[in-house]
Amino acid sequence: MPSTSHSLKAAASLPAAHGLTGPAGPTGLLRSLASLRLTLGLLVVLGAAILMAYQSEEWRSWPLALPLLALSANLLAAVATNNAFRRQLPLLVFHLALVALLLLVAAGRLTYLKGTLELTRGATFEGRLTTTDAGPFHAGDLAAVRFANQGFTIDYAPGLLRGDTRNTVAWTDGDGQPRQAVIGDQEPLKLKGYRFYTSFNKGFAPVFLWLPNQGERRLGAVHLPAYPLNELTQAQAWTPPGSRSPVWIMLQFDEKLLDPAGPAAFRLPEKYSVVIRSGEQRVELSPGDFVDLPDGRLKLDGLTTWMGYNVFYDWTLPWLAAASLAAVLSLGWHFWRKFAAKPWDA
Amino acid sequence: MERELQILWAAIVAYVLGGVISIVGVVLKKHPERTVLGFLSTGLLLHTVSIGLRWARLEHGPFITLFEILSSNVWSLMVAFLLAYWRIPRIRATAAVVMPILFVMMGWLMLSHPGEGHFPPTYRTPRLFIHIGMAKVFMGAMLVAIGVAGVILLRGAGIGVRKFDRLPEDKRLDELSFRCLAIALVFDTLMLITGAIWAQDAWGRYWAWDPLETWSFITWLLLAFALHLRVTFKPSPKRNAWLVIAVFVLGFITFFGVPFISESPHKGAV
Ligand code: HEM
Repeated sequence: MPSTSHSLKAAASLPAAHGLTGPAGPTGLLRSLASLRLTLGLLVVLGAAILMAYQSEEWRSWPLALPLLALSANLLAAVATNNAFRRQLPLLVFHLALVALLLLVAAGRLTYLKGTLELTRGATFEGRLTTTDAGPFHAGDLAAVRFANQGFTIDYAPGLLRGDTRNTVAWTDGDGQPRQAVIGDQEPLKLKGYRFYTSFNKGFAPVFLWLPNQGERRLGAVHLPAYPLNELTQAQAWTPPGSRSPVWIMLQFDEKLLDPAGPAAFRLPEKYSVVIRSGEQRVELSPGDFVDLPDGRLKLDGLTTWMGYNVFYDWTLPWLAAASLAAVLSLGWHFWRKFAAKPWDA
Repeated sequence: MERELQILWAAIVAYVLGGVISIVGVVLKKHPERTVLGFLSTGLLLHTVSIGLRWARLEHGPFITLFEILSSNVWSLMVAFLLAYWRIPRIRATAAVVMPILFVMMGWLMLSHPGEGHFPPTYRTPRLFIHIGMAKVFMGAMLVAIGVAGVILLRGAGIGVRKFDRLPEDKRLDELSFRCLAIALVFDTLMLITGAIWAQDAWGRYWAWDPLETWSFITWLLLAFALHLRVTFKPSPKRNAWLVIAVFVLGFITFFGVPFISESPHKGAV
């Protein structure tokens, strides 16, 4: 068996590796760092760090990074000095895959991006997020990403339990060809390394035509709070573009849109009105109606929907998958080899 | 639903009969192995039918409520143990340790409410089966390990030394439980990987320290710790047996405890 000859060779080189330098020399230091007792201690420390990370978000950076760094140093020292790794190639591959995973996760933490955005039906994403959380070295090309929300459907089971979300999106691919797809739940739209996931945040958006006293007319939508989550508070403060006076907008309808008693689907109300309050003024607009405000005229054009998206960018994902696969395959290979060599009850 | 529950009851009666006969067999030093195998297989068959009927009725697998999760785990642990029982005749007497653990789960199953739960849209994917399948193999391997570890500890405590004398010596049993632990580590690793892949698309992130993720990772670390302890200190079979129990208990709490006390989206467990 090849491993026997390896182990003989490894054993022969052992005294030299132990070295004449003794424990105080660099080799001795490396050997102490490679101690398997240290591994055990560090695994316990890591376990404690994980429990702390679980308790509080503040503990998710250096308290985790330190034991992981120490374990990596411990492991690399063991790779350099421990003959077990020379005798057992799959075991070596497994441990190196663990280090690779660690490095990839670290690289991912430094360059990731997480964010949210909302898009009115028919509107195009223009590279700007509502909220962003990114690693210090994030360098993706989000500003160049474009896609349009073409509307969604969501089914609800009795009891208002959300079923599948199907959101049609459109974009132009690298060859300039128009493309369309239905995304939703676990099917994100992937563009330039960014993954856009539909979220449970979605709702209604009254569409207004704003005719300011001075300046150009604008058509736009105001996103009301998520529906049905905020079913009873379909109101929002909003300041028309270029205006100094905020208005308060509320959507009113009498229909029961999503009846918990049976299956239902997300839809617009058939009859609705929008209440506008500005200072002392209060009016109720039906589609086509308008109100004169201090800075211009506001006309209700209609009602549409908006969809909330979560954005995620992490270029390490395929590499993480590859390193995980390498880890688990080599682990299986290691044990297979070990167990096939001898029956358990021999 | 009535029919499903009646068949489940019948399955449990068959399991309990098989288990009790195996325990009595160990105590009386008899070997009713074929009878035990017969009862347990019958139980498994009936249990499969009961799960199948419920699956067809609800149009989704047993992955949502505590009742479903317990039922599908009793089923998969039974499959794992029956495989070991059938393929490794020398350790059949470990049924005396394993079956009482399964009895506890069966009792819990019978007490839990058989009502139905909501099948979330993120579960409508083959990843569900892959992820859960891995977890089930992991727990199955741990169950066989704990049966063997239990015998080592019972013999060490002077209980049933003669009753278990047909089993191999402790050193051999220790090797077998170690192999089960190794299989458990491979499948626990696979479970974490497939879970992370699924979570990436179901929840937009591959890891977020939710309670189930955290506790599964700690279980994985404990497995790594246990295997390392073996190579570093070469502990006695008795000490190793305690480690096996520790991993099993942690795995058990993770799968059957954490999902039902936490508020995170990671609800249905195994
Ligand atoms: C980070 C520091 C680590 C070091 C220095 C280290 C070192 C070693 C060494 C030297 C061996 C070979 C022992 C021998 O056969 O004589 C070994 C085995 C092993 N290690 Fe690690 N390891 C580390 C972390 C881990 C982690 C995090 C895992 C996670 C699962 C792990 C899993 C294993 C397994 C499964 C074996 C094989 C045990 C066997 O075949 O009996 N190790 N490790």
